[in-house]
Amino acid sequence: MATYKVLADNISGKQPGDTITDDELVGANIEALIESGHLAKTTNNKKAED
Amino acid sequence: MAIFVMKNASVTINSVDLSSYCSSVAVDYNVDAVPADVMGTAYHVFQPGLENSTVTVTLNQDFAATKTEATIFPLVGTTTTVLVKAESGAVSATNPSYTCTGFLASSQPVNGAVGDLASMQLVFTGRVVKATT
Repeated sequence: MATYKVLADNISGKQPGDTITDDELVGANIEALIESGHLAKTTNNKKAED
Repeated sequence: MAIFVMKNASVTINSVDLSSYCSSVAVDYNVDAVPADVMGTAYHVFQPGLENSTVTVTLNQDFAATKTEATIFPLVGTTTTVLVKAESGAVSATNPSYTCTGFLASSQPVNGAVGDLASMQLVFTGRVVKATT
């Protein structure tokens, strides 16, 4: 499940700084939201298990 | 809900709430009427064809980051969701939502004559699903 950081103040039901998942964005064009500056990809820092 | 005047509709395009930029919105729920005329009838007969619904939205233009133009420009040529409610409150039996999964073929980043309010009219074409909860 991919997660994104909300950057804009007009994402429905979210505030800037919130995290949003792709499950919450079903049907939306996520690439367009990133391109338009509404969302930023969240870096996954979790190490892969050996 | 009784009869009412449109004053506070909610329009969310690609999960972005653009209600405060929207001056008009229309949900046209359409199914193609496929002619199925046969001998012996004196009137046209139709069968239901493909759904061909549209949501038409007029938005005031704003080139600021994450506002109208920035939201719409990357959507041209793609399919996304448009959620419309007649009132901005919670979805209910008396305030249903209509979600269009629609293709946006064009936009007008620059549109208007001298003295006009800059705006764009968008038409999303696809299917519409109604929800009351």
